[in-house]
Amino acid sequence: MPWRRLVITLAIIGPILALLAFGFTRDARYITSPLIAQPAAPFTITLFDGGKLALEDLRGKAVFLNFWASWCPPCRAEARDLEAAWRKVKDQNMVFVGVALQDTDGNSMEFLKEFDVTYPNGKDESGKIAVDYGTWGIPESFFIDPQGRITYKHVGGIRAALVIAKLEEAAKGIVSAQEGKGDYQPIR
Amino acid sequence: MPAVFHRVDSLLTLIAAKAAIQVLRSWTGRSLMIVLALALAPPLFAAATPDLEEQTRELAAELRCVVCQNLSVADSPSEMAQQMRAVVREQLEAGKTPEQVKEFFVSKYGDWVLLRPRMTGFSALLWVLPYVVLILGVITALWFIRRWVAAKKSHGPVAGPSASAAQMRSEFFKENFARPDPEDSSPRASLLRERARLQDELNELDFDFQSGKLSDSDHIALKQEIEAKTVAVIEQIHALPPKAPAKPAPTEKSARGTDTAAGADRSRLRRWQLVTGAVFLVVFGLALGVMLTQSVRPRLSERDTMTGDFLTGTRSTNSTVNAALAEGKTAFAHREFPKAIEAFKKVLTADPDNPEAHSYMGYILLQAGHGDGALMAFDKALSQAPNLPMALWGKGMVLYQDKQDFAAARGIFEKLLSLVPPGEERNEIAKVLAEIPAGGAQKRTTAAPSSSRQISGRITIDAKLKAKVEPDATLFIIARPAGAAAGPPLAVKKVDRPSFPLDYTLGQDNVMMQGTPFTGKISVTVRLDNDGNPVTRGPGDLTGDYKKNPVEVGAKHVDIVIDQLTQ
Repeated sequence: MPWRRLVITLAIIGPILALLAFGFTRDARYITSPLIAQPAAPFTITLFDGGKLALEDLRGKAVFLNFWASWCPPCRAEARDLEAAWRKVKDQNMVFVGVALQDTDGNSMEFLKEFDVTYPNGKDESGKIAVDYGTWGIPESFFIDPQGRITYKHVGGIRAALVIAKLEEAAKGIVSAQEGKGDYQPIR
Repeated sequence: MPAVFHRVDSLLTLIAAKAAIQVLRSWTGRSLMIVLALALAPPLFAAATPDLEEQTRELAAELRCVVCQNLSVADSPSEMAQQMRAVVREQLEAGKTPEQVKEFFVSKYGDWVLLRPRMTGFSALLWVLPYVVLILGVITALWFIRRWVAAKKSHGPVAGPSASAAQMRSEFFKENFARPDPEDSSPRASLLRERARLQDELNELDFDFQSGKLSDSDHIALKQEIEAKTVAVIEQIHALPPKAPAKPAPTEKSARGTDTAAGADRSRLRRWQLVTGAVFLVVFGLALGVMLTQSVRPRLSERDTMTGDFLTGTRSTNSTVNAALAEGKTAFAHREFPKAIEAFKKVLTADPDNPEAHSYMGYILLQAGHGDGALMAFDKALSQAPNLPMALWGKGMVLYQDKQDFAAARGIFEKLLSLVPPGEERNEIAKVLAEIPAGGAQKRTTAAPSSSRQISGRITIDAKLKAKVEPDATLFIIARPAGAAAGPPLAVKKVDRPSFPLDYTLGQDNVMMQGTPFTGKISVTVRLDNDGNPVTRGPGDLTGDYKKNPVEVGAKHVDIVIDQLTQ
């Protein structure tokens, strides 16, 4: 019977086409990061003011970790929001840490001065911290709970209200399964 | 070998040479040992290093560059790939196995970072499926070949008792054998007609078999039967003396006609099947080709997906829009404005919110002297992409040069300055910003009565409420006719993310209903809105009003302090 042949042909080709179509609609970079709910990789950075900061020393506090660069427009767009959020929560048991990537010291410091950034910022000299946190687009932000576990990841620009809300969740140890998205700039 | 290893190699050779001199001087056993150790060191070192390099390269070739399009860490020239290569090398040097290094990257980026998917879970399908398809293909091909061979065998010569094998074979497979005249009723003609009928029957049998109506055994048995009959007829034809004409029987004529019609139908059906198959293959190939080309194209913007709108339905990235946008930009660059307008209109028809097209339209309108239209176009662009530099620049220039609303222009350029990284463009913005005169606004050169049809002043914020200001709040400056506490405002001005103190003007350009004159006595209030929606009023919004309300249009120094918090 011709229709039987047609059904068999479609039954074979249909699933293959559906699989292809499904694959083509996915952006693998947005597949949930394996870092969520995992311990945050420890690191120590030299801050732009000359001091040293070790993530391990911040245990017991909710940490907002932000990767940025002065040449990245979305990082510039979110800079004022981050500073505003920091000023709101700095008296609570919360810490902001900025990590500059693929940038010169001069440009980074000019950026910090321009946006009047007052929370601690340092530079990822070798790019190792960026790899440890699986970064691929900046700005990229991580929220770490007082036990040192990553509770939320946001790729792209983030607003002050979301930073505060997610920090409050991190302080309580609440993990968000879904990653946040915003305008981002791929790392070079 | 990289230069660094050459340098190390040379250094070790130099040390070995120095040690050799020492041996020549002392000839002690200890020195001899040093010479041997150093002489052996370079080749050993040279043998170990390329191994590590090779191992790093091999491993990097299996990892995906996370900032590239389908490039491995080994092949990518990006800074990120270099850093990833350094991590690979460092971990191999530290004694980790390639599997452990790969596991490290997977733990950071997920399975996606592996260019060769793993053989576990769903990914295993990617490995198994091609082999399954290959095996199925081979089985299908073998089945078809077997059938063809069987069919050919059944067509083989069936030798008759009185004809030579070669002659019979030649006769049997002769397709264009002589067809008798329909009017001919001679025995030869009758036999030829019978021969034709048997040939048609044979064709029909083959067709039934190929369409699956007959089993192999039935097909072979029936075929042999018909072939035997055919051979008998051929033998009879050969046994006949030269032909004698005769008239055909009317019943035979009708049978032959029916057979011919059936043969034509079958032929049409086969053609139809062939055409359908060919069309399907072409469509399938095209679909696959389009999918593949769509998947490997570069991304057009940060929001673009790998396939654009091809499968996801996202707007603004289809090829028509991109082609029209590119055409418009080229025309704009060559100052062919009518052509550029046509192209941008085409873009906006397909994608009404395209911020780039709105921005270019704004520039075209601006150079044509339509400041209001340009401002509207830039606002439309900014409503879709609030940080689009070209729209911000355009709006700033309209406000500065056309509207001479210096305070608003300054706000726009300051925002632009904060978005653009250091460089030539940023310097240009800073230069324009420095050129903008201080103060709120100047008299417009185009509209003579505008200064008398506007109010101006400064908005400040009470020191106690400064901490309550949200960074992304929007300021609304609202003018209502004197005495009207509610109802639609006469004029409204919106300022995104204002910085205080803020110099402002409110005039004819800000009226809500076009054509309504901005005159008479008005009450002026301001609201710093957290959600940016002028209609909603929520807790946390900050408000203030002019203390000497109502005020006559044309007044200056209508200064307002934001001093109230909506609970």
